[in-house]
Amino acid sequence: MSDSLYAQWLALACGAFLLAGVLVLWRRDLAAIVRLFALQGVALGAMVVVLGLRQGSVHLVAVAVGVGALRAGLLPYLMRRALDTPRPGGETAADEARETRPLVNVATSLLAAAVLALVAYAVSQPIVRLSPDPATRAVPVALTVLLVGFFVLVTRRRALSQVVGFLLIDNAITATAFLTTSGVPLVVELGVSLDVLLAVLVLQVLTTRMRAAFGGTDLDELRELHD
Amino acid sequence: MNLPGALLTVALGLCLATALLALAVPARIRPALSGVGTAAAGAAGAAAGGAAMAGQTWSAWLPDLLPLAGVRLTLDPLGGLFIAVTGGVAVCAGVYGIGYARHGLSGRIVQATLPLFVASMLLVPAAAAVSTLLVAWELMAITSLLLVLAEHGRRPAVGGAGLWYAVMTHLGLIAILGGLAGFAAGAHGEAFEQLRSARLSPLARDAVFLATFAGFASKAGIVPLHAWLPRAHPEAPSHVSALMSAAMVNMGVYGIARVGLDLLPGSTGGASGGGTPAWWWLLVLAAGGASAMYGILQAAVSSDLKRLLGYSTTENMGLVLMGLGAAGFFATRGAPQLAALALVAALLHVVNHAAFKTLLFQAAGSVLHATGTRNLDVLGGLRARMPYTTALFAVGALAASALPPGNGFVSEWLLLQSLVHAIPASGVAGAVAMPLAVGVVAMSAGLAVATFVKAFGVGFLARPRGPEAERAVESPPSMLGGMGLAALCCAVLAVGPTVIVPGLARAVGTLLPGPAPVTGPAMRTVTLHLSGIAGTMSPLLIAVALAAAIALAAGAVRMFSARRRRAARLWDCGAGPMSPRMQYTATSFAEPLQRVFDDVLRPEMDIDVTPKKESAYLVERIRFHAMVPDRIERRLYGPLLAAAEALGRRARALANGSVHRYLAYGFWTLTGLLILLAVIP
Repeated sequence: MSDSLYAQWLALACGAFLLAGVLVLWRRDLAAIVRLFALQGVALGAMVVVLGLRQGSVHLVAVAVGVGALRAGLLPYLMRRALDTPRPGGETAADEARETRPLVNVATSLLAAAVLALVAYAVSQPIVRLSPDPATRAVPVALTVLLVGFFVLVTRRRALSQVVGFLLIDNAITATAFLTTSGVPLVVELGVSLDVLLAVLVLQVLTTRMRAAFGGTDLDELRELHD
Repeated sequence: MNLPGALLTVALGLCLATALLALAVPARIRPALSGVGTAAAGAAGAAAGGAAMAGQTWSAWLPDLLPLAGVRLTLDPLGGLFIAVTGGVAVCAGVYGIGYARHGLSGRIVQATLPLFVASMLLVPAAAAVSTLLVAWELMAITSLLLVLAEHGRRPAVGGAGLWYAVMTHLGLIAILGGLAGFAAGAHGEAFEQLRSARLSPLARDAVFLATFAGFASKAGIVPLHAWLPRAHPEAPSHVSALMSAAMVNMGVYGIARVGLDLLPGSTGGASGGGTPAWWWLLVLAAGGASAMYGILQAAVSSDLKRLLGYSTTENMGLVLMGLGAAGFFATRGAPQLAALALVAALLHVVNHAAFKTLLFQAAGSVLHATGTRNLDVLGGLRARMPYTTALFAVGALAASALPPGNGFVSEWLLLQSLVHAIPASGVAGAVAMPLAVGVVAMSAGLAVATFVKAFGVGFLARPRGPEAERAVESPPSMLGGMGLAALCCAVLAVGPTVIVPGLARAVGTLLPGPAPVTGPAMRTVTLHLSGIAGTMSPLLIAVALAAAIALAAGAVRMFSARRRRAARLWDCGAGPMSPRMQYTATSFAEPLQRVFDDVLRPEMDIDVTPKKESAYLVERIRFHAMVPDRIERRLYGPLLAAAEALGRRARALANGSVHRYLAYGFWTLTGLLILLAVIP
């Protein structure tokens, strides 16, 4: 793979990765958010595939396929299942499937994402300067997605949006790891993926239980447990 | 590995094995196993310390035992002295604990923690690197905390005492950690040899000394950091009280001596403390003097037997610190012989205090065991019911009141000698401080006599003041054995301090090189000769003379008083027969003292008169309640605790239960930090 082709493919993958992350803030429909997350998983897998082809490492490509399968296939599937679980109250069903009242509205959220991107670019300058190649230049993208994921955690009310926010952070961390190193050992990647899978399973159970107990998944309703 | 090293290893191994076995064996034999193991480990530790004091040093580096730093151990005469004292106390406490644990203390945790506590105290003086010292120190704090909390299910006060102790001991640890970490950073290494050859700026040295002094002083129960001591020592099981009060507080003294006289002077390049500022030592002297006065005053008016002993520990540690401060001060003023004498006095007092405080706490535990109360006001009449405990407590009380032929007298005499002879050598500051110090020592000795006369006279003599004391029975033989060992140590130290003085002189020599301060024929005869100043004393001859005088007086009385005693009824003003409640109690005995020191102690009294319903002039009931609160605690800690609580209550508004708010705290911290990083060039 030639230098320019590599840079372009990598930029494309990173662009898709970033776009999917930011669009999560834009959509209110939880099903659409899950789809966007799956798209981001594909972009992440593509990014690692490009890196693997560049380094000529079959091992890295195999890892990429695994990462993609987990983040674009298994995790979105689990979230869809949580979303499609039959609800006790038929009336609120339409409400439940949407992020109706985020703590920060959509327009402001997108502006905030822009500011976070600026911060990410400013902060990662020293890392880029260490070794200025296309992969390292993409680190700010990963950092932006991390901050956006955190922002989703802080401002979105539905339990499923929280899960997506958490997974955006994890995607961003994985992307940073692959971009700054020449491949993470398989064992480490396996361990991290297993952790994420477990967290999502736990959150899925939690979501179902919350719905059964309160008839909704608005986390702000849970205020009893404090000092 | 030479003799002391092997012995120390054996001692530590025994502690560990005992702890593990105590977890495994059934409750029936657990106290015996734990007690015997602890006593054996203590004996090995005492032998190791003794060998180190005799001049055999040992050091080891175990790089794999702790990550990153490894464990460095060194046995030198100074550390050996403290190890020997700890070992000796552990022997007594171990033997005593066998019987005492029948008191419902045979639980796994308590019995397994006891040997670990002893092990940690054997390790602290052997540590030769900052990390090793801190690890051993923390182990000591945690194990002692577990032991203090041993009876938390039975008395609610134990929980509060444990909380005070936990907080104060960890604040002390933070101070020590901060000081020593700063020292190690300045020295570019954490082994003690590297610290000795470090070069620090004067400001950094002052900061290191002040931080470590605060930390170590809080462990030694020095005013105003003593607040935990009179709470935790009474609430712990009595053999643990003995270990804490006779061995653990010494570690504070060890720390101050090690850092102030050994590690820091080296970092200035000056020899033997000559490079340290004199104000450090005046500060130590002042803190010691304040502790001696305040501790013994509170002890004198306390009517809780173990609380009284706890305050007496503060007093004695104060005296030790006065010796230490005087030693450091003389060293800065170029009077090495006086400095060495003061240091010998301080270290001898550490040994003496350990001996008699072990005995006294164990005897108090024996009383508690038999009567279930520590309140002196309802005790009394134990002489007939518990004759051995009474005799042993009398030995301890004699030692603690610093009168000949007790062992406390010897060290206080040495301390006074060094302070009295200071005047020509020590300049203006010394000319002001030393006479004051002499006054403090003399006064604390006088008050100590009153305190222990009260403790012994009210607690053990006369008639029982309450039903608990009437039902008392003598303690089991293992407890008497533990007390007997401690009493034997007291007696040996009282008549033959010359036995251990050479070892002490060697310990002093590691800190202040110079000629031995207590010299000459001392090692072979029974007389202490002070070098440099004219002073000799023979404790044995004093004891013999006293015994002879008493025998003579008693014989003379018996010979010349021909009249026989005749029993008659006491005149009771016609108000009916007198009850035992009309005897002097601890409170009434201390009342004159309390009146004299009214301004310092500020006792609180509360009179509550309830009149009859029919007429306000007819009194139905009068309730009188008097207490002497710890004034320093109330004035210093009260506002601090109130402020902390108010802050905590206000901080509750931060946590309203919303997950989003908690996440937002993290988010803002992260982005704020990132922005800060981006802005800072």
